[in-house]
Amino acid sequence: MPVENPFQDPLRFERRTPECTVVIFGANGDLTKRKLLPALYRLMYERRLAPGFAVVGVSRTPMSDDQFREKMRESVVKFLEDSPFDEGVWEGFSQGLFYVSGDVQDPELYKRLAARLEEIEKSRHTGGNVLFYLSTQPSQYGAAAKGIGAAGLARGKGWRRLVVEKPFGHDLESARALSRELQEVFPESEVYRIDHYLGKETVQNILAFRWGNGIFEPLWNRRYVNHVQITAAESIGVEGRGAYYQEAGALRDMIQNHLLQVMATIAMEPSGVFEPTAVRDERAKLLRSIRVMKHEEVHTNAVAGQYGPARIGGVDVPGFRQEPGVDPNSQTETYAAITFFVDNWRWAKVPFYIRTGKRLPKRVSEIAIHFNPAPHSVFGNHNGEMQPNLLILRIQPEEGISLKFVSKQPGAGMKLRPVSMDFNYGASFGERSPSAYETLLLDAIQGDATLYSRQDMVEASWGAVTPILEVWKATKFDFPNYPAGTWGPKEADEMLRRRGHEWRKI
Amino acid sequence: MSTTIQPDRILRELSELWVTFGKQDGDQSTGVLRACAMTLVVVADAKENAAEVGETLASLMRDHPSRAIVVRVLDDAKPELEARVFAQCWMPLGQRRQICCEQIEISSSNISLADVPAVVLPLIVADLPVIVWSKIPRLFATPALEALSRLATKTIIDSAAFPDAGSALRRLSQVASSGLVLGDLAWTRLTRWRELIAQIFENPDYSSHLPAITSVTICHPGENAPATVRYIAAWLVLCLERAGSRPAVRWKPEDCAGLGRIEFTTADPSLLNASVRKLEGSIAEVRVNSLISRTVFPEASDYDLLREELSISGRDAVFEAALARAAESVEER
Repeated sequence: MPVENPFQDPLRFERRTPECTVVIFGANGDLTKRKLLPALYRLMYERRLAPGFAVVGVSRTPMSDDQFREKMRESVVKFLEDSPFDEGVWEGFSQGLFYVSGDVQDPELYKRLAARLEEIEKSRHTGGNVLFYLSTQPSQYGAAAKGIGAAGLARGKGWRRLVVEKPFGHDLESARALSRELQEVFPESEVYRIDHYLGKETVQNILAFRWGNGIFEPLWNRRYVNHVQITAAESIGVEGRGAYYQEAGALRDMIQNHLLQVMATIAMEPSGVFEPTAVRDERAKLLRSIRVMKHEEVHTNAVAGQYGPARIGGVDVPGFRQEPGVDPNSQTETYAAITFFVDNWRWAKVPFYIRTGKRLPKRVSEIAIHFNPAPHSVFGNHNGEMQPNLLILRIQPEEGISLKFVSKQPGAGMKLRPVSMDFNYGASFGERSPSAYETLLLDAIQGDATLYSRQDMVEASWGAVTPILEVWKATKFDFPNYPAGTWGPKEADEMLRRRGHEWRKI
Repeated sequence: MSTTIQPDRILRELSELWVTFGKQDGDQSTGVLRACAMTLVVVADAKENAAEVGETLASLMRDHPSRAIVVRVLDDAKPELEARVFAQCWMPLGQRRQICCEQIEISSSNISLADVPAVVLPLIVADLPVIVWSKIPRLFATPALEALSRLATKTIIDSAAFPDAGSALRRLSQVASSGLVLGDLAWTRLTRWRELIAQIFENPDYSSHLPAITSVTICHPGENAPATVRYIAAWLVLCLERAGSRPAVRWKPEDCAGLGRIEFTTADPSLLNASVRKLEGSIAEVRVNSLISRTVFPEASDYDLLREELSISGRDAVFEAALARAAESVEER
């Protein structure tokens, strides 16, 4: 029976974490250097990790523990955001960094890994708790899981968990196949599919906003909400990821995972309790309720775009087809705008417009809930100033919430104008927000899967985009169809105009 | 100097302040954001460096935007009371909008202090917590501060500034048992220590040895144990009792700054020997048997301590139990 820790004081300090070892496959990769190690170091800096915490890096490059430590030190110094690098903390943290080299296909690698884990368990009292993190090429996920299983590492004295980075397959079939491979080794309850969007503080704040306040939920339905717009715009291009992006495209890269998860967060039913299974059940239920388009509906409800060359701020910007590693005749979409509907009582007939793209005018992610206009116009039209109420949940940058409503202009007469009531996340809580990877890594170590995707969620979201992928694959697009630095192809505007709506000018 | 303050006039000045900001803003910028999550009443000695208090408040506003009412107490026998109003504004990095909080400064002589609560009452922001932070130890348990505390959700003091730690804890405990919600910065200074101790015993390998702990040693500088040492000793006793252990908890003077070291030992040293030690600079070392880890452990400033205390506006059961136990042990000794 576990002994309760009598020293806990949840009012004053954060959840304590158990001792464990994090094994990172792909330890020499970009994600490890840019995100994972800086996040783990930061957690140690914040006193969130246990004294015996350890990391074992695994990759093909032969390296000693000390060389790995030096390499990780350089990465942490370079990529640590919003916090100082402290030599004293690093010295302690680096003593818990170890390295094992080898090929994920080679069974010998897992024997060496097992021996290393045993040593660490003894010397650092990790209690046999191991979190395996697959940060390799997606094609190696199956082999890594199999190797872990064959070496008997998926079971041990403590808990064993597996974290998998997206993409979870490239379509519904491959996602199912991947799940089968992982579940041969780990039970689904121990598989943590990471979607870093869900780890963002402001995405989590959507749940606090919806479920912690009594006044919004009664309005949160088809009776009051006219439509919802979800935007995730990037001003940059593919930034050296041309080869990967060419295979993925905007729909797979952003909408199938991140943005459908955001939509589910907005539209899901409140769970009875804030516990992983209850919250994920509701999220999954919503994703399953997204109407799957018929092939003939795709052209009117989905728009693909690809950016062409342009001159922005005096600089010539290449088009997607001119980016390194990209086929000059590529048919990959760098922009996607989709109209989704949710077939349930709460959201019947309410359009959810989702758009995402590369090389749009600015980097911004937000959700705009457009409410129905007042049922009767007492004040006349007032030159279009009688705008419906708008609730904006800003994810980045300037995280916060704004409510737009109409107010009387000071002075004689009844002149109206829209005003904005703003809550600024940074202004109200000056504390540094943890990065998405800090939040998600800590959750996985604590065994809290609330913010992780589950197999049924992944399959439901693949199901929602499959007809679009199929139709787009069979379509010969006349790309490029929007210049870099603009808000995407005009067809995306037309898609909304058909329903009497227009994209918010952000 | 004036001897009266009209709260209505202060409120009018506050609203004029916001109108001025609105006008300055013009059509070009994106406006001023008014932020307020509480009323913070600071009682400080007029002799104290005003800039330092102002700096702490300015930093706090980013974390806990509030209407700050600073009562500066003049060491004067004549009745004196006056007020001024201004705003603390800042531009968050990378953003286009200024964020501003209101600040009211009331100067009061000792003799006029009794009039201050009636002035503060109408200035409190409705529906939000009211926190009083008294920086003057001699005012503790005086009728003026008590009247202010009765308006407040919580009163914060620093018992480390009291001349005698033992009697300070006794008096604090009496006030707490009368129903007032208190915060003590001497207790807040212990959070990082307590956090590191809690982290050690999160490991079941170590927590299973809790009942076997036979002694806990707390090292501190100086001859007399300060309030922080008495607090941590009381807290450790309470926690260890819950784990079924009744070790000897001792404190002893040592050559170190602040709290220096806390060490847990068992009769059989091979079972568990754990310690938390403050090292030179801003580092703490946690040692469990042969395993050593280090973590950042900066000296907490007033701002750090207040930031933590302001985030807890209700009762803190762990603090209240430790305070009661620390006060009891003063009686026993």
